[in-house]
Amino acid sequence: MMQRYDYLKAIAGDVGDALVVSAGWAAREWQALRSGDGNFRPRTLGLASSIALGIALGLPHRKVIVIDGDGAFLMNLCGLPTIAWQNPPNLIHLLFDNQCYEASGATETATVMGTDAVALVKGAGYKHACWVKSPKKFREEFLKAWKRSKTSFIAARVEQGQPVLPPIRVDELENLGPSDHRRG
Amino acid sequence: MDSKKAAQIIVQGLKKAGVNFVATLPDLKIVELIRAVDKDPDIKHVPLCREEEGVGICAGACLTGKKTALLMQNGGLLNSCNGLTTTCLQFQIPILLLVYYAGDLGDRGFTTVGSVTEPVLEGLGIRTYVLRRTEGVEETLVGAQILAEDSKKPVAVLLTKSVLGVK
Repeated sequence: MMQRYDYLKAIAGDVGDALVVSAGWAAREWQALRSGDGNFRPRTLGLASSIALGIALGLPHRKVIVIDGDGAFLMNLCGLPTIAWQNPPNLIHLLFDNQCYEASGATETATVMGTDAVALVKGAGYKHACWVKSPKKFREEFLKAWKRSKTSFIAARVEQGQPVLPPIRVDELENLGPSDHRRG
Repeated sequence: MDSKKAAQIIVQGLKKAGVNFVATLPDLKIVELIRAVDKDPDIKHVPLCREEEGVGICAGACLTGKKTALLMQNGGLLNSCNGLTTTCLQFQIPILLLVYYAGDLGDRGFTTVGSVTEPVLEGLGIRTYVLRRTEGVEETLVGAQILAEDSKKPVAVLLTKSVLGVK
């Protein structure tokens, strides 16, 4: 099994100008891989997928990616039928399941006994959802989802842990870091 | 006034305020209003499963330039407190909260949620206006949206039975 960072690295060059919503440690990893003001890092556990839905509905011409963890995903199960109902073609929902609340001290989540995220989203009404077992396969599925232009969900079980990364130095309100510059 | 006509007046007020994106979760008292929102071609309607996801959805849409409202019962407002705090207040995102005021004057069965509604909003630092008269609808909704945008915070408008045209 690989870590989430290995998976994110596999697609970092493929996301164009997609808007990316991610919370927790994944946000730091994503910021290290692709910094910029197209990344939004919410503070409410669970709400990233709903925020991404709102962005996707508001900007239908832009791709929107949400990077969820299993803790956040489980907290907002009620958001899944809403996403499926709206069915935004520009939304790609990614889940990295490390079977614990890692950023909160790594106690277990219910996925450790077998709660199946892909089964849950399919049950909620997502038409395109799959598990992947390697970063290579993940990138393949991601590129398919990108081309498909229909709400898509890709999940991977990952090991806990992440490489040593610099802290995110972003002004939360301006959503800009010291090296970012507003376009235009 | 019947509830259908009241709903029309509130929807017209929302449109005057520029609101073009509304997430909803039903209460029997706001069902005509939800139907009117759903039918309106100028408003994107997102039906919810739980109110707090609506905070996220409205906040996300707000970041894209939509003017958003979250329509729900005050029990749903209580469900939404963390999202309101750590998303809307934290990131200064101005969504309009349209809250049916269960447990208000003359209501039976909801006195507990009614009694905590305004103190909770006050605790969150969310400015709150109670709508009781149809004549005040447009002025209050337009004003609340301006206030939300200008203060970069959610503003709550509590909808009472009288303004909704329901018993």
